[in-house]
Amino acid sequence: MASLPEDRAALVSPDLPLRANLSARENIALIPLYQKHFDAAEASHQAQTLLEQLGFASIGDKRDPDMNPSERFVAKLARALILKRPQLVIERPGAMLYDIPYPAFLRELASRFEGAPEKWEVFDFDWNRPLYDRE
Amino acid sequence: MEFLLNFVERTGAKAVGWWNATFAVLAFLTEVLSTLVRPATWNRATLDTIVKQIYFTAVQILHVYLVYVLAISWVIITITLSTARDVGLFDAATEMIIRVLLLELLPFLTALLIALRSGSAINTEVALMKVNNELDALSHCRVEPMQFEFLPRIAGGIASVIGLTVLGSVLTLFLAYFSIYGLSTSGFDAFSNTISTVFGIGVLMGLGVKCIFFGLAVTTLPMAAGLETPKKLFMVPVSVLRGMMRVFLALVLIEVLSLALEYI
Repeated sequence: MASLPEDRAALVSPDLPLRANLSARENIALIPLYQKHFDAAEASHQAQTLLEQLGFASIGDKRDPDMNPSERFVAKLARALILKRPQLVIERPGAMLYDIPYPAFLRELASRFEGAPEKWEVFDFDWNRPLYDRE
Repeated sequence: MEFLLNFVERTGAKAVGWWNATFAVLAFLTEVLSTLVRPATWNRATLDTIVKQIYFTAVQILHVYLVYVLAISWVIITITLSTARDVGLFDAATEMIIRVLLLELLPFLTALLIALRSGSAINTEVALMKVNNELDALSHCRVEPMQFEFLPRIAGGIASVIGLTVLGSVLTLFLAYFSIYGLSTSGFDAFSNTISTVFGIGVLMGLGVKCIFFGLAVTTLPMAAGLETPKKLFMVPVSVLRGMMRVFLALVLIEVLSLALEYI
């Protein structure tokens, strides 16, 4: 896992899974609930709004084992975005999005999200560079 | 000579293993206590999670528990009354029932039931969370696992042991009264006098402390065992085995100590 200052960077990584017994919405809502002390209804609303912004409103009630790789990735991404840290780091996206052409998918998600952090960074293996250049 | 060396080596390794495990449990307990007394811990989200845990641990099994208490109490009360009648100690039967069932057997069996049902689940869940890096993910998001995952389970476990013991005791008292006096109200004074004699302040406090320790044992020991699990999936059953053995030993130790303090 990349070594990054935790207060500055929000990580989306295969090594940081979702909490398996919580739905996607509950996983995301944990952050406003515990960090910013919103009540449960407001935290849940914020989480659902974020999923809608990313175009995956329907995954709110799904738990990790019931999601496909793209849905799981989006839930992790939403959890990282709601942290509102200045930097977003997506680590080894190929390990999480192994069944789709992921550079295009990442670009599409980034374009959908309006309040993006200052900096989005993708850490990927060097041999995957041609996948990004192809677009 | 080689046999002796191997023996010393094995014994030493076991002693170090026990010491490490005890130290890990004590360190975990210290962290629990320090989180408990931190005012920031007690926000709405923590309280909501505690209520959920009490629901999962106590309310969901309430009907099963009450039937189980009813069956066991009925058997013990019947045996006690018949034996007391045979040896001419029927007057002491109420006190014997209260002492055996309410002070000793019910709290112990309640803790055992919660250990088997919730303790094993907690141990497995924490071990899987550790193996799957879920705890690291929570820490990365600044959602402290102690506050979100562990403390509510501990508080829920303690509240459940106390709550279920109280409910079981009330049910047993009704059953004892009806077994001794039937539907007549004539024995009410004598019965309530015996209850007040047995349940002095000291005994009540001792019972409360014992239930708290039982609640701590059935939650913290499985959690500590889960947290010790190496990040290998095949070690999860080993972790549960170790955790549940520790819970059993701790429950027996607490019961023996409470009996020794009360009667020796």
